[in-house]
Amino acid sequence: MLSRLVLASGSALKNSGSFGACMVQASRSLHSSPQSLAPVPPLPEKGGKIRHGIFPEELFTLLYPKTGVTGPYMLGTGLALYLLSKEIYIINHETIAAASIGAVIIYGVKKYGSQVAAFIDKLNEEKVAKVQEVKELSMSSLAQAIENEKKEQWRVEGRHMLFDAKRNNVAMLLETNYRERLHMVTNEVKKRLDYQVQLQNLQRRMEQEHMVSWVEQNVIKSITLQQEKESIAKCIADLKLLAKATQARTTV
Amino acid sequence: MTLSFFDQFSSPTFLGMPIILIAITLPWTIFPAPSNRWLNNRLLTVQDWFFSYTTSQLFSPLKPSGHKWALILISLMTFLLSMNLLGLLPYTFTPTTQLSMNMSLAIPFWLATILIGVRNQPTMTLGHLLPEGTPTLLIPALIIIETTSLFIRPLALGVRLTANLTAGHLLIQLIATASFILLPIMPAIAITTTLLLILLTILEIAVAIIQAYVFVLLLTLYLQENI
Repeated sequence: MLSRLVLASGSALKNSGSFGACMVQASRSLHSSPQSLAPVPPLPEKGGKIRHGIFPEELFTLLYPKTGVTGPYMLGTGLALYLLSKEIYIINHETIAAASIGAVIIYGVKKYGSQVAAFIDKLNEEKVAKVQEVKELSMSSLAQAIENEKKEQWRVEGRHMLFDAKRNNVAMLLETNYRERLHMVTNEVKKRLDYQVQLQNLQRRMEQEHMVSWVEQNVIKSITLQQEKESIAKCIADLKLLAKATQARTTV
Repeated sequence: MTLSFFDQFSSPTFLGMPIILIAITLPWTIFPAPSNRWLNNRLLTVQDWFFSYTTSQLFSPLKPSGHKWALILISLMTFLLSMNLLGLLPYTFTPTTQLSMNMSLAIPFWLATILIGVRNQPTMTLGHLLPEGTPTLLIPALIIIETTSLFIRPLALGVRLTANLTAGHLLIQLIATASFILLPIMPAIAITTTLLLILLTILEIAVAIIQAYVFVLLLTLYLQENI
């Protein structure tokens, strides 16, 4: 009795204290349980077991030890017959109305119950799937990032090869450039030398021609008139002889 | 207890105490409260889906300033829907069969839309009294007709719901009585009557759902005109 008084005064003190109306604290007076509300306990996955749509299984398990399997059914039948025979429940038109609405409800539940349950489950599944997709996407993008990083690290190992190739490339370019310029220089020098050679050739040829024409002119100048007549007569005589010879050849 | 056909429509009393308040507030207890968990059980999931679906259906034609009516109108629809459907069970009292209740729901909502319209856009509200493109000679007559139709709207809202549900319930009672009476006399006819009753029950379930939806749909339409 004294403990009851202590409990009552304890909860009253808690309630009327500066914390105000804190019912949670009142129910946990005297610090007898942990003060945490989280993590929230999980909900049961399925509802309680039910037989024939309305009677919970607990009723059957309750009656099983004393009355066995048929106990609850006997109870139901006895109850129904009692209500009818004592005219506590009278069969009238409402019974028929009840039977018809009961039939419609049972038919509806049996035929469309699983479809409706599947639809509702799908609603929840979609909700979970959306968030799961975000998680999957982020996971895959992170894995991809890891792959990329590994590839970059592999690339770093082959960096020296890249630099060698680049160095060779540059050296080749330099070499090519040097050779080109060498060629160019050679060609230019050759051109200048050719020019000089041509110049000399020209000089010699012009001297030769000049000499030849001078000689010809002198010879022509030195041909006297007498010599000219004699040469022409000789030519004519030669021609006559040749004509005669040709004539003689053709007649023979 | 012998039931007459109209006992189901009388305000329920228990030992002389009216329990109409319990009858009106009981449907609220069958709806699960929204929880702060991310994934819920099936009942709560389907309730959330249903509410969001009907809200989007009813309120997408409305301007954003009308969306603040969403809470009260969807609550109203759930209220009427639950009451109508629970009333189909035997020996239940359906509060929406009472004209007093339906009128007390319809008149304030309708009047609220009218007052909003008159206060915020009086010209447009008065303009609704004349449809576009009417010939000039018909204007006076049409204004009177439109005003009449405007004032008859709350009556129509209330009486539509009352009449549909009362008639449906009464029909169920009558056909069930016929079936019950015929059962010992002509069983074959009784079976036919029972089949008719089953079809009627299916119809009544549909009517219950549709009437609740139509009530709220019409209110959103009146709101759309006036907002």
